[in-house]
Amino acid sequence: MRAPFRIVFEQRSETPKYLSAFVPLVSVLAALLAGAIFLMATGYSVGETYSNMLQDGFLSSRGLTDTLGLSTVLICMGIGAAFAFQMNLYNIGGEGQGYLGMIGGAWAGLALGPHLPSVIMIPTVLLIGAAFGAVWIFVPAFVRARLGTSEIVTTLLLTYIAASLVNHFIYTPNSYFRAPDVTFPMGRTVPDSAKLTALGDTRMYPTFFIVVALALFLFWIVKRTEFGYRIQVIADSPRAAHYAGINARRTTMQVMLISGALAGLGGATLIVGEFGKLDPGITMLGYGYAGIVIAALARNNFAAIIVSGILFSGLRVGGDKLQITTSTPIHIGVMLQGAILLFALGGEAFRRYKIRTVRMQAVAQ
Amino acid sequence: MTNTSHEVVKGPHHSGDAAPIALSAHSITKRFPGVLANDSVDFDVRAGEVHTLLGENGAGKSTLAAMLCGLYQPDSGYLLRNGQQISLSSPRAGLQHGIAMVHQHFRLVDRFTVAENVVLGSRNLSFTLNRKTIDEKVAAVAESYGLPIDPGAIVGDLSVGQRQRVEIVKALYQGAEILLLDEPTAVLVPAEVEKLFENVHAMTAAGKSIVFISHKLGEVVEISDRVTVLRGGKVTGHVSGRGSTDTKELARLMVGRDINLSTQRASHPTGHEVLQIRELSLQTEGVDILSNISFNVHEGEMVGIAGVAGNGQRELADTIAGLISPTAGTISIGGAMATDRGPIAARELGLAYVPEDRLGMGLVPSMSILDNLLLTRDRHIVVDRASVRPEATRLIDQFEIKANDADHVARKLSGGNAQKVLLARELSGGRAATKLLVVCSPTRGLDVGAIETVRRLLDDARSAGQAILLISEDLDEIMSLADRILVLYRGAIVHETSGEAAQLATVGAAMAGLSTEGAA
Repeated sequence: MRAPFRIVFEQRSETPKYLSAFVPLVSVLAALLAGAIFLMATGYSVGETYSNMLQDGFLSSRGLTDTLGLSTVLICMGIGAAFAFQMNLYNIGGEGQGYLGMIGGAWAGLALGPHLPSVIMIPTVLLIGAAFGAVWIFVPAFVRARLGTSEIVTTLLLTYIAASLVNHFIYTPNSYFRAPDVTFPMGRTVPDSAKLTALGDTRMYPTFFIVVALALFLFWIVKRTEFGYRIQVIADSPRAAHYAGINARRTTMQVMLISGALAGLGGATLIVGEFGKLDPGITMLGYGYAGIVIAALARNNFAAIIVSGILFSGLRVGGDKLQITTSTPIHIGVMLQGAILLFALGGEAFRRYKIRTVRMQAVAQ
Repeated sequence: MTNTSHEVVKGPHHSGDAAPIALSAHSITKRFPGVLANDSVDFDVRAGEVHTLLGENGAGKSTLAAMLCGLYQPDSGYLLRNGQQISLSSPRAGLQHGIAMVHQHFRLVDRFTVAENVVLGSRNLSFTLNRKTIDEKVAAVAESYGLPIDPGAIVGDLSVGQRQRVEIVKALYQGAEILLLDEPTAVLVPAEVEKLFENVHAMTAAGKSIVFISHKLGEVVEISDRVTVLRGGKVTGHVSGRGSTDTKELARLMVGRDINLSTQRASHPTGHEVLQIRELSLQTEGVDILSNISFNVHEGEMVGIAGVAGNGQRELADTIAGLISPTAGTISIGGAMATDRGPIAARELGLAYVPEDRLGMGLVPSMSILDNLLLTRDRHIVVDRASVRPEATRLIDQFEIKANDADHVARKLSGGNAQKVLLARELSGGRAATKLLVVCSPTRGLDVGAIETVRRLLDDARSAGQAILLISEDLDEIMSLADRILVLYRGAIVHETSGEAAQLATVGAAMAGLSTEGAA
């Protein structure tokens, strides 16, 4: 017996505008729903958990400022990932480039901080962090542009090396980055001139505004400049780019280096901000990986990344606090992030395909 | 035969008359939403012959072939295999009756060996594969038809021609008596085509039937014992007799009207040389793509390059446009050297280029008409779209492009309108005023109305003094537009004639390489 109906995926000739906003929204809701099933299965109250998360992530003033504070690095990682993704370059090593940004930023802070004033030090730490991020992606970018080697593999593998590098700098006795006179291995804090002060009684730093401005600036770059135009041509049709005399290799290099620099900048914001030192704890936080999800959720739209970055940050902040306030495991937040990515990517199918049911035809003869 | 349309019989002998009809289709009709793909089509193929299905894109050739091999089922009509009625519910059923299709896009597993691909899908395989036995069996089948192939080679490492051979060997291994070859030469380089044709002869000599599907007149004449021409889903004629077939007749049957489009040639004397090509050669991976080509194009002159696809036309155009560096020789545009200086330098010398692939090379599909106009122009660091918009609007108007506005996305344009956008951009100049226009297959796939518009635009550009190099597989187009005709065959110019003196038969023969074979 065959079913009387068949489900058919029909390619859309064009995607309705409302779906572009609708799909990410529904993805988040679907992820929350999926999370609810797990919460129920493990005996936690769904309503209570979610309302706590909402309260601790967005609605309380402490929660909101924490969320905006954390969103600084997440948005930065998001725009870094999206900058490469928009040209179909899958730099998934933002995590590792972020570590390098921290290493570079911490080095600049420790080495130059004692000699230079804050006005010069803050930009220096951020720029050197960005430069270190770009250095870390240079080889993947070069082999991708020249030989077409998959940047997915190279950038990912370099992340593991970057993590080892961070640990090496902290766990090696007498390391430049290690706090002296402390038995416990931890990073040496940069001088005050290389650090920003938090805004008021919050954990938010002025870097938040820098990063948001940067996201908007990139939005403008892509929509309005020749560089953005080139990226769009190559992304859509490499042959048209060749036809028009656009140098795809050079643009590939440029785009990947910028992507790495943005991730490095993300790492450096932690030096001038919350961390103030190279901290091996960074390798447990996965900010760079979160950036991939944030970029995907915003469909690589730099303005939308500000929103998805804050949303994501709130989920993390709310999720983290759950463990403290209730005893819900911290992993519920992590799981929700994964579920959002899954549903956001799955939702792509709805943007591209219409789903119809078709009555089966009577089988001829 | 109940065919009411054209019936042309040529040649002293009807090849394969003695041979029995292996497969025949009767009154086959197939409808797709909005399209009548096949309209009571009759077709048959005898044992040991090559019967070609000829027709333009969308004429219904592939649909008919798909029904002959069981991929589609006809809405009405029936098939006879050796006189017995059969109904094919799937390609496997077709295979059981000895009918197999070699698709234009190969269906091979790249990581498997040749032998593994060949036996893939066989039902009578044992649980464990004995590689040696399989290799030997596959090699034996291949050799018996003169298809030399290494059974142990990995398919991913093979050339396109070799992969096609694997597909053919697979069909033969599975016991095919009737092979349907769907546009088999579309993906091949000329040398591979020659090899394929040898294989086809070896197979027909062994009593196999070949249904050859093509829209290329030259090769059809070369390979076919009989030809059935389809147009708009209907049979418009049968032609038989190898080698003696009249391409003009075939073209007429295929296109459906007398090839007597009002000829348009330069009415005024032509001026200075705009394009000079000297001893141009191009080699890719040791294969000669272009060999020793020299010619000029003058102001107000249209030179047509005729030839069957895959004879170096696209490479010639790309080389002139600065996209490919030639191995040897020089190109100058407007008296200045353009060789090896890249596409932007060529455009600064006054080159405009309409490539064969409109959407994807000439135009960026996801971009608006406005942004597509900017593709070949000088863009400032901050793209100033506002200043280009009036021109975009004017061009949309002037070239009668059916679009809402300049923000209309290229992907959503019809083929004809996309081509008009491309011509509008290229003719209106960008980095420099257009002196030389290189156009490839400008009317391919367009409807009649759009074809006429495009031809008129080209004629206008010529009258305005631009030099035009028209590269087209559409011989009629070249015959009716070009002031001079050059025939490109296997990368060399084998024939040159003025537009007025051109004889379709002579040019057609040169396209098929017949005249060169006589000379060599």
